[in-house]
Amino acid sequence: MASVADDILHNNKVGPVLRAGELAQAAAEAAEIDNPGKEVTIEDKMAYLRIMADDELVLTQDTLSECLGRDMNIRELEVDLSSFAGQIEWRPDKVRFYFEKHL
Amino acid sequence: MSTLPREEWYDLARTTNWTPKYVSEDEMFPEEMSGARGISLEDWGKYDEPYKTTYPEYVRIQREKDAGAYSVKAALERDNFVERADPGWISTMKAHYGAIAVAEYAASLAEARMARFSKAPGNRNMATFGMLDETRHGQIQLYFPHTHVRRDRQWDWAWKAYHTNEWGAIAARSLFDDMMMTRDAIGVAIMLTFAFETGFTNMQFLGLAADAAEAGDHTFASLISSVQTDEARHAQQGGPALKILLEHGKKDEAQRMIDVAIWRSWKLFSVLTGPIMDYYTPLEARKQSFKEFMLEWIVAQFERQLLDLGLDKPWYWDEFMRALDETHHGMHLGVWYWRPTVWWNPAAGVTPEERDWLEEKYPGWNDTWGRCWDVIIENLKEGRPELTAPETLPVICHMSNIPIVGTPGNGWNVKDYTLEHEGRLYHFGSEPDRWCFQVDPERYKKQMTLVDRFLAGHIEPADLMGALIYMNIAPGETGDDAHNYEWMKAYMPEKQAAE
Repeated sequence: MASVADDILHNNKVGPVLRAGELAQAAAEAAEIDNPGKEVTIEDKMAYLRIMADDELVLTQDTLSECLGRDMNIRELEVDLSSFAGQIEWRPDKVRFYFEKHL
Repeated sequence: MSTLPREEWYDLARTTNWTPKYVSEDEMFPEEMSGARGISLEDWGKYDEPYKTTYPEYVRIQREKDAGAYSVKAALERDNFVERADPGWISTMKAHYGAIAVAEYAASLAEARMARFSKAPGNRNMATFGMLDETRHGQIQLYFPHTHVRRDRQWDWAWKAYHTNEWGAIAARSLFDDMMMTRDAIGVAIMLTFAFETGFTNMQFLGLAADAAEAGDHTFASLISSVQTDEARHAQQGGPALKILLEHGKKDEAQRMIDVAIWRSWKLFSVLTGPIMDYYTPLEARKQSFKEFMLEWIVAQFERQLLDLGLDKPWYWDEFMRALDETHHGMHLGVWYWRPTVWWNPAAGVTPEERDWLEEKYPGWNDTWGRCWDVIIENLKEGRPELTAPETLPVICHMSNIPIVGTPGNGWNVKDYTLEHEGRLYHFGSEPDRWCFQVDPERYKKQMTLVDRFLAGHIEPADLMGALIYMNIAPGETGDDAHNYEWMKAYMPEKQAAE
């Protein structure tokens, strides 16, 4: 068990966990656009959506607004941002999830 | 009029480590409340919270969150989900509300301690919002179950549980008092906001939300996942405090606080969340097993973040990972067996189909816990229900305040980890439980478990009735099998003959 768990522990997945809804759907779409060249994976747990990429994942206000079909302030993401993997950094127009160390 | 964007004024506006004129720094920030640990006010001023917010933003966003959660409740009220919900799911909600709602107010006090006494201005600012968050969590998680109080008295335990000496309430209070009520501001930042909130609350508020959505309980799923959006913000107070402790060579102390908080939280979750996810939640609604949720939230997400911040896995890692396969099965067996002593109706969760699921998720289940359930099933089958009811006392752990359990049957490993301290013999459920005590015996040495209280004569008469009175469990509130033993039909000979 410990070695299986160690394999699970030694991952580099970062990204938001959003409550199910239009914001989560928009973020899943935006993650693909805002992180070109990255493999973005989505886990749908019905109540929440886990959006992940290795080491760093960015969501911008512009892309989110575009995917949502209306203007939104990046801070509105908090309404549905239940959790996230990695560390977080908020900028005026984007949010970034990241790890400092790649394992 | 145009206003400056937050990023251009926030750091300056919350730089409030002014030089006090009328009192000394020590009077303003007493060490026992602030927990600066010899790190200067100036250095705490470098605390940089990653998740910043301002009061106008806070109010606007929180309003939107509440509008969402309350409107889902209102919209689905006529749907009357609770009326047709599986009794196991009803028990899940009752257990959740009783164990969580009032503790949110304790969390609010813990946030208030950081808001007033932390030497880091950013911590003080974010804790002010955290304090409001936790008040929201207390209120909303009392308001929602209150709708159901007219259905039966157990729902009232959403409010009542923490005001009693019910054994689960004693265990939960012991943990939360330890992390929330009796730590200095930095201790709270590390143990509560970092270890508990970036780690374990995700299990109860998101893992369980996934099960709730599968079960069709969208009101509950929406409520608890909304609560967790506040946690995601205010839990970020721990990380920057950790960074400062690490920069000042205090890694060992930080690691120790986290290791204690993780282990103690794990034990409470093994008795609360484990049985809910793997036994009470209807089989078709189980999104993942408890262990799978633990691996997702605690191992892949939380422990990984711990490594990123420069800390290590807890020293008891192997024991912890082993326990993911074991502890909560024993806890469930105990809770079901002592079912009159809880404020919900435990679901046995051991129909043949459910046993297949358990065997698949936890290979070997039938040869271990399954064998205990075989005896219970045999007794019920033979018309001896009294033999499935509590007559003896469990041995209770002096750290977790819950029974000492191990693997029964072929995997037998039940063990009492004892310690003699100042002439008193203590019992622990595991090596890490004993270690938590040894880290700070003064803090824990006077703890009286429910069994200690029995032996000390606090509980009269010293039998189940006396215990129920002591625990303030009134008639109509005592737990019994959630499905009124309907699940036994699958094991009855008539049924087999008919098929």
